[in-house]
Amino acid sequence: MTAPAGDPARAALDDAVIAWAREPWDDTGWPRDDARFERLALALFAHQFEHCAPYRRFCENRDRTPENVARWQDVPAIPTGAFKELALTSFPIERAVHVFRTSGTSAKTRGALHLDTLAVYEASLRASFLRHLLPDRTDDTPVPMRVLAPSMKEAPDSSLSHMFDAVMTEVGAAGSRHWVVDGGLDTERVVRELEAGCDAGDAPLLVCGTAFSFVHLLEALEKEGRRFALPPNTRVMETGGFKGRSRVLPRDELYAWIDDRLGVAAARIVNQYGMTELGSQFYDSVLCDPRGPRRKLAPPWTRVRLLEPGGSEEVASGETGRIAIVDLANTGSVCALETADLGRAVGDGFEVLGREPGAEERGCSVAADLLLGES
Amino acid sequence: MNAADVRDRLASLRAAGEVLRSRRPEGVIEALAAVLDRWRDPNGPERCELERELPAATGFSPANVKAGLALALAPWSGDALRDVTRRALAPLAEAVRGEDTTGVILAGAIPMPTLLAIVEPLALRSPVLAKSASRDPVTAHLVARSIAAVDPALGEAVGIVDFPSADGEALEAFLGADRIVATGSDETIAAVARRVADPKRVLGHGHRLSVAVLGPEAVRGAALLEATRGTALDTALWDQLGCLSPVVVFAPRGACPEVGAALANALAEIEARLPRGAVAPRVEALTMHERSGAELRGATGGDVVVHCDDSCAWTVIVENDAEPRPMPLHRFLRVHPSDDAADLLAALAPYAKHLAGVALAGFGSEESALRPELAALGASRICAPGELQAPPLDWPRDGIPAFAALVRTE
Repeated sequence: MTAPAGDPARAALDDAVIAWAREPWDDTGWPRDDARFERLALALFAHQFEHCAPYRRFCENRDRTPENVARWQDVPAIPTGAFKELALTSFPIERAVHVFRTSGTSAKTRGALHLDTLAVYEASLRASFLRHLLPDRTDDTPVPMRVLAPSMKEAPDSSLSHMFDAVMTEVGAAGSRHWVVDGGLDTERVVRELEAGCDAGDAPLLVCGTAFSFVHLLEALEKEGRRFALPPNTRVMETGGFKGRSRVLPRDELYAWIDDRLGVAAARIVNQYGMTELGSQFYDSVLCDPRGPRRKLAPPWTRVRLLEPGGSEEVASGETGRIAIVDLANTGSVCALETADLGRAVGDGFEVLGREPGAEERGCSVAADLLLGES
Repeated sequence: MNAADVRDRLASLRAAGEVLRSRRPEGVIEALAAVLDRWRDPNGPERCELERELPAATGFSPANVKAGLALALAPWSGDALRDVTRRALAPLAEAVRGEDTTGVILAGAIPMPTLLAIVEPLALRSPVLAKSASRDPVTAHLVARSIAAVDPALGEAVGIVDFPSADGEALEAFLGADRIVATGSDETIAAVARRVADPKRVLGHGHRLSVAVLGPEAVRGAALLEATRGTALDTALWDQLGCLSPVVVFAPRGACPEVGAALANALAEIEARLPRGAVAPRVEALTMHERSGAELRGATGGDVVVHCDDSCAWTVIVENDAEPRPMPLHRFLRVHPSDDAADLLAALAPYAKHLAGVALAGFGSEESALRPELAALGASRICAPGELQAPPLDWPRDGIPAFAALVRTE
């Protein structure tokens, strides 16, 4: 299902992105087509400029219009935080069929991505997920899945829950399920299933979830003194951080803990960088390029730029920059976003930089997210 | 330094405490008064060393360190200490004392809290074991040397330890002190309290912030200039990273554009004489992100205005509502509208749990009614703009009475 009738330009854009997402990859990777990307990006910019009034005014304020923007790099990017303040849609909002919301404790602090179709989103997520978590899947054999996150039914406005459910529907074997039920981790059931290797047999078992849910599980296993050796073909996908949580764990410590308690080595743990405001996701390369350095790979319908932390120019290769993304899967909102995240280029991908260890503010001022989390 | 070293140090402080408590309280106060008077001397060895060493250690500019110390230490005289301790402790006569040992966990990079954190327990003849702040490896050691220079015996009652926060054994040894004063994040304080048998032994100073509030008489002419220059100074000192640094400004709705423009001018002026210090890339990234967000809201007819310089040195955003938004700090201010006192208090409610100071100007006869309301919200320091960063020695930080809160309870 693509965009509603009466919007043929939008429908064409949706179809173009969906078609791209459905194209196969090969052993050399996912083919990159700069000319195709630029053509679509500029067309999408023109469409969103015309149909998203707040975005148009923002672009006009910067003297950037479809008439004078000739490169995708010059498409004005809006900050992801804007989704908390404004409904940024390139379609009449009454046509929204779904809303994804960012995490947060109150409506005032939650951003919203309104969608008038899930087709583009699902095409993008499916392609990326399979490419990076199941690159060795050669047929349609279902894959046993366990998810450390609530289902879409329990969390209808979570894009992550939607993603997991969509993948489970597409490739999940019978018995695939969520381990977070009714808002909590069903530890007894999880332990029983882990004892049985999740009935995976020789199939590649997929255990996915938020980093914080993995911490919950690992703490429960540690408390019980339990360790498991999941089947050798198991792969783990984790995502999200610890913002606002009481416990912050560096990724290498989390992976060592997963290896210790579940028997899945770091080389088979894939991190996903994504956000509610984006239609696409970026995964670690470890399964599709095990010999290369760990880095996030961008699907060919996205581009990632690293900008000066305090400026707007791109940083030199290897330098730390703030992450800006053009995502063609954002056909219904704004395709060019800038984040407050920092990253660094690594080969043909990038790494996302976490907060430096011990980097508390120099003083006793409250952290912004602490205050905002309470309001 | 390991756990055994920390235990040894604590043991020697216990022994020093026996000697310390055999002294008359007045003699100890006199020694500490002399220490404060040394620190107030802009040409004294302590100030010179701080001005020399602190910028490199903390990232603050030398001018900022110099100006911040001059302003903050001005009221912290030996006479002030005598007066404060007399008033705070007099009813308890000679029996008053602190615990056998006091452990002080230091945080941040601003030196005055470190100085006071060590002086306070000593004034009650309680030896101090202080864990240096990772961001300020200079001040605690300097305080210890300064005390020893004035009064070698008193200097024996001060120990400074440095160990990684992740060293659980060393922390466990440290928490063997009879009283713990912890400064840091709310999570750090909670974690410390969980590790001691009696959480009541822990006195915590968690995350705090301050605000500036301008009333109708401070938004025009000379009064506007004075209020915004004062707010800019409060903001620029210590690069807005202290608990007494204002993070937002409230002003009458119709005057917010003028207040924002005046604040921008004031921050630009002050940048020239008190340059902002080093800033982490993630702060710059958040600053740019918030500027863009404000730009978008302004472009969509939201009466939101962004004032900033070409770099990230300062930012003032004039908002059209009172919604709390992310605070990059490092000289980033939002100006929020308020319609009247009731509206103001409602707008301040989200900040109440972490409120430390309020810089107040322009309320005329209404101020006397407003002050108790602000205090009820949680403000422990209410003063004119420009004075936030110079609290008196007996400032009840976080509502906790200075000195008296450390008196031993039998």
